[in-house]
Formats: sequence, structure tokens, C-alpha cells
Amino acid sequence: MLAYTLKRLLAGIVTVWFIATATFTAMHMVPGDPLMNDKAVSAEIRANLERKYGLDKSAPEQYVIFMKNMLSGDFGISFTQQNRQVNDIIRDHFPVSATLGIMAIFFATIGGVLWGALTALYRNRLPDIIIMFLVILGISVPSFVFAALGQLLLVNINSLFGASIIPVAGWGTLSHMLMPSMVLGLGTMALLTRLMRSSMLEIVNEDYIRTARAKGLSPSRIFFRHQLRNAILPVITVLGPQIAAITTGGFVVELVFAIPGLGRYFVQAVQQLDYTVIMGTTVFYGAFLVLMVILVDILYGFIDPRVRLS
Amino acid sequence: MSEMDDTFKDNVLEVENLNVEFSTYGGVVQAVRGVNFSVGRGETLAIVGESGCGKSVTVQSIMGLLPTPPGKITAGEARLRGNNILNLPAKEANKFRGVEIGMIFQDPMTSLNPTMTIGDQISETLMVHRHLSYSDASAKAVALLEKTRIPEAKKRAAQYPFEFSGGMLQRAMIAQSLACNPSVLIADEPTTALDVTIQAQILELMSELQKTEDMSIILITHDLAVVAKMADRVAVMYAGQIVEMGTVDEIFYESAHPYTMGLKEAMPSNRKDRAKKLTPIEGSPPDLFSPPAGCGYFARCPHAMALCETKQSEEFILTSSSSHFSKCWLQHPEAPKTDGLFQVGDDHAG
Repeated sequence: MLAYTLKRLLAGIVTVWFIATATFTAMHMVPGDPLMNDKAVSAEIRANLERKYGLDKSAPEQYVIFMKNMLSGDFGISFTQQNRQVNDIIRDHFPVSATLGIMAIFFATIGGVLWGALTALYRNRLPDIIIMFLVILGISVPSFVFAALGQLLLVNINSLFGASIIPVAGWGTLSHMLMPSMVLGLGTMALLTRLMRSSMLEIVNEDYIRTARAKGLSPSRIFFRHQLRNAILPVITVLGPQIAAITTGGFVVELVFAIPGLGRYFVQAVQQLDYTVIMGTTVFYGAFLVLMVILVDILYGFIDPRVRLS
Repeated sequence: MSEMDDTFKDNVLEVENLNVEFSTYGGVVQAVRGVNFSVGRGETLAIVGESGCGKSVTVQSIMGLLPTPPGKITAGEARLRGNNILNLPAKEANKFRGVEIGMIFQDPMTSLNPTMTIGDQISETLMVHRHLSYSDASAKAVALLEKTRIPEAKKRAAQYPFEFSGGMLQRAMIAQSLACNPSVLIADEPTTALDVTIQAQILELMSELQKTEDMSIILITHDLAVVAKMADRVAVMYAGQIVEMGTVDEIFYESAHPYTMGLKEAMPSNRKDRAKKLTPIEGSPPDLFSPPAGCGYFARCPHAMALCETKQSEEFILTSSSSHFSKCWLQHPEAPKTDGLFQVGDDHAG
């Protein structure tokens, strides 16, 4: 298990290096540079600024400098935000995005497993039909629609009570976080519900479930001890990529709910060709996602002995 | 033979007039049509027949393992020491499942939970039915594995099914089914998925444990070699009915139903006087969506008579001890004599 984990971590580091190099190359191939945004700089000032930021050096030289700094944990200073370190931007705004993402994943997983198991138990009966209809809605309707509908719902609730019980937008308390994280997790929840349902239905017909019944175990014991654990395996497999989808897809939801997350900086930086912020946020997100996928794989190993031991 | 009959007088399990249907898109399949049998204490009853004859459905109905729907037990009783156990709700059924009746299955590779250790799967039964603590149950599980001759039982108990070979898994399945000392073991084609040498070992283990544990075995198989090795009595099933039943010697040496004859001729033999080509039974079993009015074997039977098509035969008893019957009109006193077939009034071989 240890060797497996180390191997995965090493592969993860290579992946992050690849992401950094690819982003660096792509970024420099885009026409223009970060200084284009400052209006009417004379050739002289521009040359000075280029010297200051090291933009006068060749791309390979810049790459080496960037890699060196990155290894020491320094992503540099933002081009567009006065004297703001990229590290500070990440430190200030990532926890917000991460909290939102983790809560969304939490909702999605719990909901997905629960609804999936429920629909499988009530197969082809009313609860199944209703939930599966909602699941199709959840998968096909984009998150900004749900975000707007969610806000509308909150407004109605608040006006019903005549007081602001649940804030409609902003960030800070748990009540701020509930609606956006549910909206963000909805698509994933729908996907996991479908997956869990089909996986449960498949497992009901497995020979070892028949054995469990022949052993005289109660239906609830069979459900929790034999079905659930085996049915959850495919769900965990897609959880890694889904975490990626949720954390990068958070931008829209952050925008609608006015949440000060990292997503905004990520998008802005690309628009303004803010080299250091692009590199910083991309590499950071990349590393985060790689770590999540590795964690999911390790978790998988804990649930399925066949992965752990072979 | 008469000694044996005395031993089997007290029947552990009795099945009477069992009828099972399956509702499918194509219509209702009558999979089991009025099956009667009983199993005595310490006895091995083999149920033989080709695929789809209803032998597995019969035992699964007894255990309450039929998927319902589409399956449905439409009539009949199964009595365990006199108490009916058919069509019980799960809670009631779990008082005998795994306790009074243990069951092992055809494919040991898929019949155990892949994400649970072998030891835990065995001790689970003990914890649920015998209310043992986890540590007591685990210790007992190791003892059970030792009983089924699994080497290094303690180490093996901590392993998962994928770390076992097929034969070892079937041993573990047997250990699991014996956990609560059941009086009946139902073995649904226990050796079909195993290779021949392992087959012999598993069968030997089963007959040994049968003696030490004093239990009855219902053995479902299509392998006549396995029947000859294991069974005390044999029920030959065809198209959802038992067409012939008798002691193992009666079935093999005094076969009284053309289908039993056909099965025997389709079996390879290494005896010089029987060294000949295998004779398969031509044709296929009847459509059980609309079961025939007469004998199910009519279309394939080399000795079929006009009567066979329209009217089902009664069970003709061939021995004074009534251990042997055949459901075939050829046993009627007025039926013609048929070569090779044992008929009412013939002299017993032994």
C-alpha cells in the first residue's frame, strides 16, 4: 500500500510539472503580453518594465527562472494587481473555493448514494420514476440556471418570513454556503445517483447476495454490509474526475452568488494575460486536483481489497 | 436395502405438490409442476436432470431464494420437521435459513462477497444466528475452515475470496454453510465449476462431513458420476416433474423410465462391454409456456405410445417397499414389454 501510494505521488508530481510546462508554453504563444493592458506606455517605460519583470529575457530563460521560483514555493507578483503576491491571492481566496467545493462534493456524494440506493430499492415504482426524472433535469440543466432559481427560492423564503433568514448572496456563515454548494453539487449528485442506481441493481442479482440470503441474514444487513459497499465502488471511481469538474466549474456559481473565490481570479488572469497569476492558479489547481485523484485512488484501495493487494 | 429404509423413516424435509411459475414477457412458464419428495435423516438425495428441468428452482423455492416476481410458488408445501417453510416472509425464513438448512452453490468464485474476508463472512452467520461476539465467532470460523481441511486456516480467514482458488472457495462455502450445524445441506451443482480432481476432493469432504455432522444432503446435479458416488436415493427430473425416483441402485440398474435410460446412454463409460458411441437424447425439452397434456418426454421418447401424448402417466410403484416409482405408461400392466427397460413384474437384479 505504501509503495503504491509513493508511486502514485511520484506520477502526480510529473503530472503537475507537465501541467506547468504546457501552461507556460501555451501562455507565451498567445499574442500580446501582460504590459499591453497599461495604456500609452512609452517605449522607454515599457523597456524598463520588461527589464523589471524579466520579460526581456528569452522564453527558455524565463521558464528556468519560473521553475526555480516555483520549487521554492514562490509564484511571483501579479502584473495587474498592485504589489499583490500570487501566493497571497491563492491564500486569501482558495479556502473559499475549497470550502464551497468540498461542501458540494459532500452533498453530491451523500445525495447520490442515498437517492441511487433508494431508486434501486423502489425500482420502476413511483419514487424511482420521480427521482429519475429529476436526475435527468439535474444532468441536463446548466448550473447557472439552478443558481438563479436557487436565489429566487431564497428570496421567496425570506420574503415569506419578512426577514433575511438565509442570505441570497455573499460569503461568511454556513447559511451563506448552503445554497451555492447544493447548486454546485447538483449535476454531480444527479450523475452519481444514476451510477449508484445501476450499480445497485446489478449487485442485487450477484451470486453473493443470494448466498447472503441463504445464510439467513436480514434484508437490512444484506443491504448495508453486502450491497452498499460493493455498489459504491464505481461511484468512487468517478469521484476523482467529478471533484475536478466541481472545483473548476465553481466559477459560474461563485459569480452568481458573489462569492470571493479563486475562480474569478483564474478567469480574469487569462483575459488580462497576467502571466504570474495564470501560472500560479493553474499549477495550484492542477496540483490540488492531482492530489484529490490520488486520495480517491487510495480510498478505493481501502474499500476494495483487490486494488490494495495486487 | 431394507435396513436403509428404516434409517430414513424419520424425514427431515418433505416437499409436497410443489408448483412454481415464472411470469415472463413471453407468458407464464410452469417451471415446476407438482414435485413430491422427502429427505431422511443423514440421507443424500440427488436430484438429476438436464438444464432447465426445474431442479434448481425446486431447491431455491424451498430456501425462499426465488426472485419474486417473476417467480411465484403457486401451490405446495415444504415441511421442515413438520413445519411449512414455503412462502414465509424474510424474517420467518431467516429462522431456518443458514441455521437448519445450509446451502452451497455452483460457482464459488462469485458466491462470496468480494470485499469481505472469508473469516468475516463465516463469522457473520454465527454472530447473527448464534449471537456470538466478534472474537468468538472469528475463532469458530477458523475452526470451521480447519474442519473443511483448509491449510493455514487462521491466515486464510483473514484473506479475501480473490486470494483463494476455486476448490478452496468451495471448501470455505461449505465451512460457512455448516456454521450453525444445519440438519440439511442443499448443494446446488457444487462441483460443476470445478475441475475433476478438485471435484472428487470436494465430494469426499462432503460425504465425510455428512457422517460427522449427521446431516442430510440434497444434491442437485446433472452429472451421473457424481450421483453414483454420493447419492442414497435419486430423483430424476424432467420438464418440471420427477419422472422416476428410487435408490441409487434401482435408478442405475433397474431404470424404469425411458428418460433415465437416455441419460445413462448419454454418459461415457470405461467398461468394455459398454464401449460404444455416446447416444445423445435427440430433440429438446417441451415448451413449458404451455406444458403438454401428456408426458413431457413424449416427443423424444423412443417407446412413445399414442396414450403418452394425451394423458399423463400415474406413478407406478416397482418395489414392494415402494422406494422405486416411475411416471411412465410403459409400467402399466397392459403395456408392451420394452427391451432394456425395467418394468413392473421384472425380477430384481440384486
